[in-house]
Amino acid sequence: MSARSFGSLFMVASCAGAALGCYLVSLRVASERAALESVEAQIVDTQSELRVLQTEIGTRGRLSQLERWNAGAFSLSAPAANQFLQGGFELARLVQPQRQVDFQAPVVMASAPAPAPQQPLGQPAAEQSREPQAVGPAGLLHEASLKTETREVPARTVVALPLPTAMKSPDKPVTAAKPAQSKSGDRPGLAAAKSPAAKPPKGAPVHVADASHATRKKSVDKPALGSAKPMTKRVELAKTDPLAPLPDRHSGRPKDSPTGR
Amino acid sequence: MNAPQPALVAPRPERLRLVGQRRLMLAVMHQRLMFGMIVYAGLIALVALRILYLAAFGDHAGRKEELTSLIPERGDIVDRDGVPLARTIDAWSIAIHPNKVIGDKLALAERLAQLMPEHTAQQYFALLRSGKNFFYLRRRASPELVEAVNAIGEPGLAIEREPDRLYPQTTLAAHVIGFTNIDGHGGAGAERAFESYLSDPSTRGKPLVLSISSKVQQALEAELSEAKQHFSAIGAAGVVMDVHTGEVLAMTSLPAFNPNVPGQATPDQMFNRATLGVFELGSTFKPFTLAMAMDSGVVSGPGQMYNCPEVLPAYGHLVHDTHPFGRQCSVAEIMMESSNIGMAQMADQLGTARQKAWLKKMGFLDRVEIELKERGRALTPGSRWGPFETMTIGFGQGIAVAPLQLAMGYATLFDNGIYHAPTILKVGPDHPLKPGRRVFTADTSYRMRSLLRLVVMKGTGRKADAPGYRVGGKTGTAQKLINGRYSNTINITSFAGVFPMDDPRYVIVVMLDEPKATPETYGFTTAGWNVAPVVSRTISRIAPMLGVAPDMNREPNMAEVLPFVHDDKHDAKKD
Repeated sequence: MSARSFGSLFMVASCAGAALGCYLVSLRVASERAALESVEAQIVDTQSELRVLQTEIGTRGRLSQLERWNAGAFSLSAPAANQFLQGGFELARLVQPQRQVDFQAPVVMASAPAPAPQQPLGQPAAEQSREPQAVGPAGLLHEASLKTETREVPARTVVALPLPTAMKSPDKPVTAAKPAQSKSGDRPGLAAAKSPAAKPPKGAPVHVADASHATRKKSVDKPALGSAKPMTKRVELAKTDPLAPLPDRHSGRPKDSPTGR
Repeated sequence: MNAPQPALVAPRPERLRLVGQRRLMLAVMHQRLMFGMIVYAGLIALVALRILYLAAFGDHAGRKEELTSLIPERGDIVDRDGVPLARTIDAWSIAIHPNKVIGDKLALAERLAQLMPEHTAQQYFALLRSGKNFFYLRRRASPELVEAVNAIGEPGLAIEREPDRLYPQTTLAAHVIGFTNIDGHGGAGAERAFESYLSDPSTRGKPLVLSISSKVQQALEAELSEAKQHFSAIGAAGVVMDVHTGEVLAMTSLPAFNPNVPGQATPDQMFNRATLGVFELGSTFKPFTLAMAMDSGVVSGPGQMYNCPEVLPAYGHLVHDTHPFGRQCSVAEIMMESSNIGMAQMADQLGTARQKAWLKKMGFLDRVEIELKERGRALTPGSRWGPFETMTIGFGQGIAVAPLQLAMGYATLFDNGIYHAPTILKVGPDHPLKPGRRVFTADTSYRMRSLLRLVVMKGTGRKADAPGYRVGGKTGTAQKLINGRYSNTINITSFAGVFPMDDPRYVIVVMLDEPKATPETYGFTTAGWNVAPVVSRTISRIAPMLGVAPDMNREPNMAEVLPFVHDDKHDAKKD
């Protein structure tokens, strides 16, 4: 009985509940939409703000202004036609190290120099006598391969070489010259150096002596010494005196340096 | 006794009537009440329903209209790379309602004069007392000023934001872009030509893309204005155009104006010399005459010989050359040394009728075809167009065209002879290239390449050469008509160039109006000395931007013309 009498009430309540539910859903949708719209409005606001800022930057950095700065403050100008490269290869070519010809370097002959000229110059060290034999085969071999140790030795022994200038030219191997210098205090070679013609003979013998020393010492002695000074001396090979006997690499020094001066 | 007494007396009849009446009235009242209730219930239901509807589907209170996309008050104008050339921004305006001022007017006037010194305090005071309703005090005011005015606190002052047209690049391409007047309508240039597009709400959201390239424009303007200043010219004009599409990449007219303040511009500054001005451009016309002659079969090729005496008597006049040959000369030499005498003979052989027909075909007898409204009409001899006029037109005197028309002619000549109408809109999906029409044969176009390159390599236009860019072109020095007579000292110098000549892509036309001689031109005022260097410098700057790679090893086929050039020639310049 009661159920029947309350039936209509339930009906009303459920209808109201359904309506409320629908309403809540639509309310939710509306609020979401409103939120979305406010985001959109924010985006538009930001866009217009961006536009204003862009316009301001564009106006301050207008081309005529840039041109004024370029021409006045920075002194920039358009690149010339020869500053354009066609591709990667041309670009790479730009960084390739340039080979520089050292005009003061002695001419190195392919053939082995004759020992003869050296002998006449009696001056240098006692070792002279040994030179010729030592030079013959060993010298040639050395030319081909770089050996740092050998030179150092000769340099020390050499009294004659007075060439400071030689050291200074960057591309030349300074190595031989250096030791020479340090010891050059006593040098008879200095006088010789001034007259190029006179000098070579002097220098040559000396070196030869050194060289002979060197060759011997190389095999024998000091890795330590070599390691200590190798950098400076290394380059010498190129400077060898063409006319001197094989050990000459060192002797080349003295010769060219005078001419250089 | 207590019992109720029966009514001994019958109620009075009026009383009886009253009872009946009351009952009746009650019924009516019930009816009315019910009716009123229904009406109210209906209204309430209506309101409730409306509220429900609004809650479900309606707009919320904070919603703004049309905010989902940014549509400016007037469309933007951008260049071909998207650089803005004209924009509408919200600017501050300061106005005053004199009748609503409640403070001390004298003090207000003094304060205003202090902040905006363009008027005196007296003037502001008079304005405040004038009884008028509204005055603008300042439009496009700076934020600092707006802040200061706002701080006065006078309710009669109105500070508002209003849309304002801004041209960020100031004078750049001013004649192409134009300006807007105080009502926001286009007053010149593209602003005027595309007024409907820019103001229509359905289209203005999308910017108007011009064919102008602002970098090229800047290079052209900078070089040209420097030359104009250097040679004290009264005016200058320049056009850079794409040969294949007719797009105008740069167009300038000097002196220029600032479109941000169009009110300050003089009429001379407003005048667009590139499209509206027409000038006799002299020898730059000669390539057209030669092309016409070659296409008509009058001239067989660059090797054809003409008799070039010191002076050529023709139809009762004398034709002179600046540097006469005094011998037989080939067509190549005539072009190279810009010989009037040679050209006059070619034009004479061509004849008036054919010349007219050709000029018509090239579009030189009509207004220049471009979207701008400022367009000049070519001046021709009209009814006096006789054989002698044909000769003078052959070397560029007696016909006046706009510099843009000249550029158009060169573009036609070097686009394999096909004419495309010049346009200031970027060619693309929105603005497709219209099919052109053939004017010259492709063969003539090809043969003109080496001839014009020769002018720059060995002839009058040597100073226009930009190494690596294969410039070809023709100088032009025309005597200016002053009071009906051709002046011997006052010139209009021009240069029409094309690059790269081995595959023409761009045309450049430069013109100086009344340049003066300077020490480094050795007293010359001819084109080879003043405009040709402008062309060289401009091309060196713009060619890389336009994708023309410099190449020292490429040239057009010079073997076609070099055999016909004799080495004995004087190397003096002339036009």
